[in-house]
Amino acid sequence: MKLYRPATVLVGVLFVLLGGLTRLVDTDQVYEDSTRVTAHGTIGQKIQYGDSAVTVTRMRFAKTFLADENDDKPIETDGIFVAVEYEAYRGTKDPGSNDVTLTADDGNIYESVAENASSGITFPQPGFTESGAFVFEVNTNDLKGLTFKLRTSQFFTGVPARDIAVDLAVPSDEVAKQLVDKAADQYVMPERSTRVDS
Amino acid sequence: MESLDDVIDAMIADRVIHRHRRKWLIAIAAVLVLALVIFVTGGWKEKKGRKVDTLKAPVTLTAGRYEFGFTSAEIIRTPKTTYDPAKSRLVVSFDLKNVDTEKHETQSLSGDLLQLVPGHGADLIDSNGATCRDQLNYKLVYGLPAVPCTAEFKVPNDFKESVVEIGVLGEKWESDNALLGLSDKPYWHNEEATAVVQLETTIKTEKKDK
Repeated sequence: MKLYRPATVLVGVLFVLLGGLTRLVDTDQVYEDSTRVTAHGTIGQKIQYGDSAVTVTRMRFAKTFLADENDDKPIETDGIFVAVEYEAYRGTKDPGSNDVTLTADDGNIYESVAENASSGITFPQPGFTESGAFVFEVNTNDLKGLTFKLRTSQFFTGVPARDIAVDLAVPSDEVAKQLVDKAADQYVMPERSTRVDS
Repeated sequence: MESLDDVIDAMIADRVIHRHRRKWLIAIAAVLVLALVIFVTGGWKEKKGRKVDTLKAPVTLTAGRYEFGFTSAEIIRTPKTTYDPAKSRLVVSFDLKNVDTEKHETQSLSGDLLQLVPGHGADLIDSNGATCRDQLNYKLVYGLPAVPCTAEFKVPNDFKESVVEIGVLGEKWESDNALLGLSDKPYWHNEEATAVVQLETTIKTEKKDK
């Protein structure tokens, strides 16, 4: 019995080529694909997130922070703390879960550091608004282009995942330096509060 | 003058050699391949001991996305109280720095990257992660200076080694095998032993709570 007839070999080569071609068509972005939509905004702007919405109300720089007002030991850093306060409006549809990060132009990714805070915005019940804050520990030399990013981590396939990017208005290193110089001595994390949507 | 018998013998021998030549070639090739495989995989000699360096504290080393500067180790004994049995733990102090030049991401040290090597063939003991500034699983920011941290290991009550060995593991920035149809984007994973650090210990007994 002849195992390797030229026709057999040819079919094998053809399959290998087909495999390579499908990879070419597929592009290199397998996970971050066209099904993600990013909404851009600035501080104070109400950004639609499905039929919910998110507003970044305030940004503060601080040298230390207290996780809550009854804490007596402030948390310190060699860098600087950036507090981002937000309001989350909940629509009728479930917005799923998400993760928030701060990113800078140099490519640094900062995560929320407060021990008892969650890593994403938790939306309240439909018709309610929740306000809260995240504290990020940030390198003072890498603040330019600071952006607050919300990335949907749980969503239904087929529906575009909505992400949010909020420009925190640090256009240059000079602005960053001024913000750091004027940073408050201490920031007290506000308690999360829920109220009826107005 | 050679005889006819000799000539016939020579002819037969020639035939025989020719008939088996291919088998011989294959056999020789197989031996060569085997030798090559053994050579590539590290030879006959059995590897003894560990394959990573053993360093003495104080020492600074980089493993994966962290830089460790080991300083000291302490065995802390907690005597038994009315409600709790006696306990012992090993606390290792080190300076920790995030040197994630690939992703520049804030990250807390995972407990299994530091492992106590008890020796005598006993299983390795994972640490509980890094405690810095009194916070367990402290999140380290890329670009900031090193922070003094501690890691704890649960050890048996009779543990009294004067020198402990801590295995340091480092993750690697690499992708999964794209040939298996997985994403070929690299990420931090596949931790591998980087070094073993020896630290001298001191024993301290904690006072009973009143």
